[in-house]
Amino acid sequence: MSETSSTLSKRSRTPIFLALCLVAVSIAFPVVFIGSSAFRSKADYLLNPFGLPESLTLENFVALWNNYGIGRALGNSLTVIAVALTLQLLIAGLAGFAMAKLPVPGVKYIRAGFVLVMLVPGQVLIIPTYLLLSNLGLVGSLQGLMLVYIATGMPFAVFFLSVTFRTLDANVLEAARIDGAGFWRTFLSVAVPMGIPGIATLAVLQFLAMWNELLFAYILLPNDQLRLLTPALAQIGGRFTSDQTLVSAGLIISSLPPLILLALASRYVMSGLGASLGR
Amino acid sequence: MTAPTQLAPGAALTAASGAAPPPRRPAAGWRRRERIIASLAVAPALLLVLAFMAYPVGYALWISLHRSNGVRYEWLGLGNYIDLLGDPLLHQVFVTNLLFLVAVPLVIFTAVICAVLLHERIRGWKFFRVLFFVPNVLSTAVVGLMFKTLFSYRGPINAAIVATGGQPIDFFSQAGTSIFVIVMALVWSGFGYQTLILLSGLSSINPEMLEAATMDGAGWWKRLWYITLPSIRGVLALVTILNVLYTFTSLFGFIFVMTAGGPGYDTTTLDYLIYTLAFSSSNLGQGAALAVLVFLLIGGLTLVQLKVFRLSDGEES
Repeated sequence: MSETSSTLSKRSRTPIFLALCLVAVSIAFPVVFIGSSAFRSKADYLLNPFGLPESLTLENFVALWNNYGIGRALGNSLTVIAVALTLQLLIAGLAGFAMAKLPVPGVKYIRAGFVLVMLVPGQVLIIPTYLLLSNLGLVGSLQGLMLVYIATGMPFAVFFLSVTFRTLDANVLEAARIDGAGFWRTFLSVAVPMGIPGIATLAVLQFLAMWNELLFAYILLPNDQLRLLTPALAQIGGRFTSDQTLVSAGLIISSLPPLILLALASRYVMSGLGASLGR
Repeated sequence: MTAPTQLAPGAALTAASGAAPPPRRPAAGWRRRERIIASLAVAPALLLVLAFMAYPVGYALWISLHRSNGVRYEWLGLGNYIDLLGDPLLHQVFVTNLLFLVAVPLVIFTAVICAVLLHERIRGWKFFRVLFFVPNVLSTAVVGLMFKTLFSYRGPINAAIVATGGQPIDFFSQAGTSIFVIVMALVWSGFGYQTLILLSGLSSINPEMLEAATMDGAGWWKRLWYITLPSIRGVLALVTILNVLYTFTSLFGFIFVMTAGGPGYDTTTLDYLIYTLAFSSSNLGQGAALAVLVFLLIGGLTLVQLKVFRLSDGEES
C-alpha cells in the first residue's frame, strides 16, 4: 500500500471502492451468466433464466462437438494460427532486427510505408483480397487465410519488433560478429533470446487478433468443412437464436483461450496493447 | 535512439566511395555484404505487405471505377460513386452510423471515471484494471452474441423486467432498441482499453503539482477539474479520435451476429453495408467504391479532429 496516493481522504475511499465494485460486477455478470447457462439444459434455462441452475450438464458441449462440427472448427483455427503466427514472427523478426540494427537501404521509406498501411481499414481490403486469392485459387483453403493473416498483421509486427530490437546492446552484437558469428547465428542465438519479452508480448497480441478475427475468416472460407471457430460460432448464434444454452457453450469455448491468456499474461497483454496505440 | 540506424546508410556510402574510412569501420566489401544481407532480411516482410496490403488498396480503387461481378469489368468512371452518393439507402445508413456515435461520449465518460478512480490506488486497483480489460480480449462476435443472449426475448434482462412487473421487450424488433443494445455492447467492450490509455496519461502528471495545489487548499474536485483533466487533454483527444474511427470501421462483428443489419436496414452501418454490397449484390464495384469513400471519410475525420484538438491545445506541441 506504499503506492497509495494521499490525495483522497480515507473516508471517501470506501464509496469509490464500492463504485468500482459496481463496474466490476457489470463486467463480470454477462461472463458469469453465459458461463453458468452453458452448463444448463435448455428446459432448465427456460424455466428461469435468471436463477441458479437446478443441475449441471455437459450436454451443450457434447452437442456442439458431435452435431455442429465445433471440434473440427477448433482444429482449423489452431492450425491456421499456429502456422500463421510462427511464420509471421519469423518474418517480422528478421525484418525488425535488420531495420533496428543493420544498414537497410531506404529504411526510412520502408518504415513510413508500414505505418501508412497500418492506417488502412480492413473494409478496403476485403473485396480486392477476395478477388486476388480467388485468382490464385486460394479461396476456400486454409493457406489463403494464413497468408492474409501473416500479411495484415505484418506492419504492426515489424514495427513492434524493430522497437524491441533497437534496445539491444550494440556491443554484444559487435562481440558476436568479432567472434565470427554470421547473420543467422547473431539473429537466432543473440538477438532472439535477448528480445524474448517483446516477442512474447507480440505473440500474445497477434494470437488474440487472429483468434478473434471474423470477417476474413468468414469470407475466405465459405466451406463448412473449413470453418474456423469464431465464424462457426457466429453462424450457430445466428441460426439457432432460441437455443441459448447451446450458444452459451459455444461462447465459452471460444472465449476461454483469450481469458486464460489474459489471466496468465495480463502484464504482457496490457503493456503490449498500450504500445499498439498507433494501430 | 533512432540516430544510429538512420545514420548507417550514409556512413556506408562514405565507406563505399573510399573517402577516408573512419576508424573501426569494417571494409567496404564487408559493408556492402551487410547491406545485401539487411535487404534480404527485410524482403519477405516487404513483399508480403506490398502484395497483400498495398496492391489491394490500388486494386480496390481500380475496381471501384468499374461495374464488375468479379470476372468481367465494365468501365464506369465515377459512376459507382455518383450512384452511391445519390442513393437514399446510403444516406439512411450514414445517419444510422452517426447514431452509433452516442457510444463515444459514453465510453470516454466511463473510462475517465474509472481511470481517475483507479489512479487513486484504491484497494485492489490492479485486480480491477485486469477485470475491466476482460472484454477487450474477447472477439466482437463473442461480445455481440453475449449481448444478444442477455437481451433476447427470453433472456435475463427481460426476466428481470417481468420480475419487476414490466412487459417483456422484443429488443431486436425495432431500430431504437436494437441500437441501444449494440451501443451497450460497444461501451461494455470498449471502455477497459480506454481506461488503460487514460491511466498511462494520468501517471505522467507531476505529483508535486497536485501536492502544491493541496497545500493551497484546493479540494479533490477542484484538483480534478483544474489540474488532472487539463493535463491529460492530449490523451483524451487521442481516445476520442480512436473511438470515432472505431465507430465507422469496427461495428461489423456486432452487427453481423446481433441483427444482420435489420430490421430492414435499420441497424446497417457503413462497414456492414460494404460487406452487403460486396457479397450479396451483382456489382462488386459499388462495394469497393463505398470502401474507398469510408476510407476518405475516416481519413478526413482524423485530420479535422487533430486540427480541432491542436487549436484548443495552447501549450502542447
